Amino acid sequence: MEHAPEILALAAVAGVAGGILAGLFGVGGGVVFVPTFVFLFSFDQLDAQATSLAAIIPVALIGAWRQSGEGQIDWRAAVLMGGGAAVGVLVGAEVAVRLEEATLSRVFGAILILVGGEMIVSAVRKLQAKRATPAPAGGPRRP
Amino acid sequence: MDLPARLRQGNLLPFIGIGVVAGLFAAMFGIGGGVVIVPLLMLVAKLPPRMAAATSLAVLILTSLIGVVRFAGTGHVDWVAAILIGIPAVIGVLLGIRFQRRLPAEWLILGFGVFMIAIGLRLVIWG
Repeated sequence: MEHAPEILALAAVAGVAGGILAGLFGVGGGVVFVPTFVFLFSFDQLDAQATSLAAIIPVALIGAWRQSGEGQIDWRAAVLMGGGAAVGVLVGAEVAVRLEEATLSRVFGAILILVGGEMIVSAVRKLQAKRATPAPAGGPRRP
Repeated sequence: MDLPARLRQGNLLPFIGIGVVAGLFAAMFGIGGGVVIVPLLMLVAKLPPRMAAATSLAVLILTSLIGVVRFAGTGHVDWVAAILIGIPAVIGVLLGIRFQRRLPAEWLILGFGVFMIAIGLRLVIWG
């Protein structure tokens, strides 16, 4: 694979950006990696997704190792979900091969938007409630 | 009640269910499992957001490995490209976790909501 230095630099920036998302939100970073492979390296969608999964392996490993050291991971829950996901992925991959219809994706996208919106509303409410409560004694002095 | 207490009560079934749903949707719609796992861990399993994100990463170890094993034989994985992105991404994930530590839970939830809407919009617009 021969690429111009600026393409490689862009890929590195995209890698760091995807990694930051991964660390912050517990996602793999594929949302950044896949388009990067498509637009910078001219991969087709399937190659981009497969290669993105390979790039996620070290991200998930190192990220989980770091979080585990801080007691943030319950490995029993993770292993159970991983086992469940393994079944889900294999079934889903078979379905995806035949799934040309975009309608289902759109419905799923709409669900994500609704849940995401609900999360934002609940977070804003909590922040407002926090602001409404007077600061505890010893906290920052108020004017 | 924290997750360990929940697990001691033996209520493990929800986690298997979350995994199945995440894997199914991820493979069907070409999205990451994390965008399904994290909200379900927060909303269904009532995990604090930081723990939900961390535990999701642990799940992704297994799912990304399985995905790669499945694709590796078909010639779709470009290992050089994976390393080119993967190594900077490892630096990124450590930065992200460092940032996450200082971020109040509400802001983390808010950020994740924005992230979900972005993924949702992409699916709605491009299918």
